[in-house]
Amino acid sequence: MIHAEPTEMTRLAQGQGFLSLRGLTRRYDHFTAVDDLNLDVAKGELVAFLGPSGCGKTTSLRMIAGLVPASSGHIVVDGRDLTGVAPYKRDMGLVFQSYALFPHMDIARNVAFGLEMRKVPKAEAAQRVKEAIAMVRLTGREHHRPAQLSGGQQQRVALARALVVRPSILLLDEPLSNLDAKLRDEMRTEIRDIQKRLGITAIFVTHDQMEALTICDKVVVMNHGRLEQVGTPHEIYEHPKTAFVAGFVGRINRLPGRASGGVAQVAGITVSAPGFDGPVDVMVRPHRMILSTGPVPADAGLHQLSGTVTRATFAGDILEYEVEAAGTLLKTEASTRGGEALLAPGTPVTLSWRPQDTFVYPAS
Amino acid sequence: MTSLALSHTEPRRLGPLGTASALLLPIAVVNAIGFLWPVVNLLKMSFREAQASGALGAGYNLDTWTNALTDSFTLELITNSVGVSLLITVLTLIASYPIALYLHRSTGTWRTVLMVLVVAPLLTSAVVRTYGWIAILSDRGLVANALMALGMAEPPRLMFNLTGVVIGLTEILMPYMILALLSGFGRLDPRLEEAALTLGASPLKTFWRVVLPLTAPGMALGGLLCFVLAISSFVTPKLLGGGRVFLLATEIYDQAIVTLNWPLAAALSMIVLVVFGISLTLYARALRRIA
Repeated sequence: MIHAEPTEMTRLAQGQGFLSLRGLTRRYDHFTAVDDLNLDVAKGELVAFLGPSGCGKTTSLRMIAGLVPASSGHIVVDGRDLTGVAPYKRDMGLVFQSYALFPHMDIARNVAFGLEMRKVPKAEAAQRVKEAIAMVRLTGREHHRPAQLSGGQQQRVALARALVVRPSILLLDEPLSNLDAKLRDEMRTEIRDIQKRLGITAIFVTHDQMEALTICDKVVVMNHGRLEQVGTPHEIYEHPKTAFVAGFVGRINRLPGRASGGVAQVAGITVSAPGFDGPVDVMVRPHRMILSTGPVPADAGLHQLSGTVTRATFAGDILEYEVEAAGTLLKTEASTRGGEALLAPGTPVTLSWRPQDTFVYPAS
Repeated sequence: MTSLALSHTEPRRLGPLGTASALLLPIAVVNAIGFLWPVVNLLKMSFREAQASGALGAGYNLDTWTNALTDSFTLELITNSVGVSLLITVLTLIASYPIALYLHRSTGTWRTVLMVLVVAPLLTSAVVRTYGWIAILSDRGLVANALMALGMAEPPRLMFNLTGVVIGLTEILMPYMILALLSGFGRLDPRLEEAALTLGASPLKTFWRVVLPLTAPGMALGGLLCFVLAISSFVTPKLLGGGRVFLLATEIYDQAIVTLNWPLAAALSMIVLVVFGISLTLYARALRRIA
């Protein structure tokens, strides 16, 4: 995978992938929750559906699970068209944000439920339940009720319950959102490890870009029911296709400018903007802007803006600055690796950044 | 000086037990006067001698109790009442369960409208609603007329028999059952049903293995409430039974008002109380097993 975009396009065209969504759409009376979603997921991939609330990521997941009927489009898993198939015949494992463990059953019976429904012989079922509970490190808690476990433990039970049936696809609906920050990091790694070990294809719905970037093979960014961009975490972060993706994944500074003849004029400097004409938004990530008090060598090939520090915050690892340059407030940050002191507001500074860190989009 | 200041600012405080007793005292007094004392009196009366004139003899004996507990009529009365009440409870449960489930799942204005429809019958007395059923079930009533219009020469009698009592009481008790069921549906989260579905359980299996067990507390509460209300109901069996249906409540009335056998009426009342006690115990046990 040298350049992912063409690869992605080719795969879509060929219709390959373990899970394929073709024109998947969900319309409600007054709005379209998911609009013409096309996606291919390879076997064993962990794919994040990332977006703000109401972007259609959960509806997409629920359509894959069969809990929400698709208005149009197709869901194909391993060559089998599942569109219209009842959820209990789809062979998917679903993990909910709210865990959704059966409160009237103990942990072992919760985990065994799916095997029972599949009429797996008792002895084999018992062995698989034991292994699944061991996998999520809850051996010894078999006969506890869900209410007796912590949130993290309950979510591990939910994971074991979904995986013990060896589903074709594991669907995770914001599985970490109800956990506190520390537990969330642990569970994130744990889900990733288990998913890799089992080699199971998984879809992970989240509104947290950190979760999507850190554990997923591929990120699907959605907004207003539409797919904004599909790519590896690196592609999504370094080459955001739209202004929305640039702003939603990571932090961003926005500078209004005007483009003509392949370049854009913004805040008195010229940046490359091939193919653009008219008003544009030029975006740069705060931590890609280098803040310096002295002059920057002109031959370094960096874009440069002069400004004044208006706000300075000490955050331990980094120093956060707000700099006013060309009438716009820009955020930037500096490392404290060398024990740098905080600059006082009012200090004249120069912001510089590499041309390849400059994103240009049509003005919103 | 400190102690002086303290004695001024610190009010006299009751311990947690003291607070509890103080809060429970008023209801305890009301219950003692309005419930405990009459019950003790009833118990005493059931051991008095019944005279044909309706007067009470001076002494105490076991005659009423031995008669009541050996007489096949009284025994049949008890089993009949318990049986009919159980039947009504089961029918009420079956009729109310889907409504309660639907109500539990509906939201917004629609839910409010439905709730009002469920509660509205409680705002009219059982007497009025019983007369309503008479208009529907009588020999010239709505149902009979409709059946005759459809060509049935002799429609079945729906009143002045057990059928009428069961139909009337089932409808009259439904609001109580629905409210009790709803109050017990708290643990029923739609996500649980979805979880069961994705784990391979058919809708029927999901209902059987997830919905039904989780709604069991509501069913137990509704069952207890309706059974108790059914066995102690008087107006509906009296009016719709037309004196041909013999149940404990109607019999107590007849013994007290018509036959003037107050000791027997008292004894039968005590039997109803015992039935209540047994059903409460069974309820408590069921609840412990569910939870």
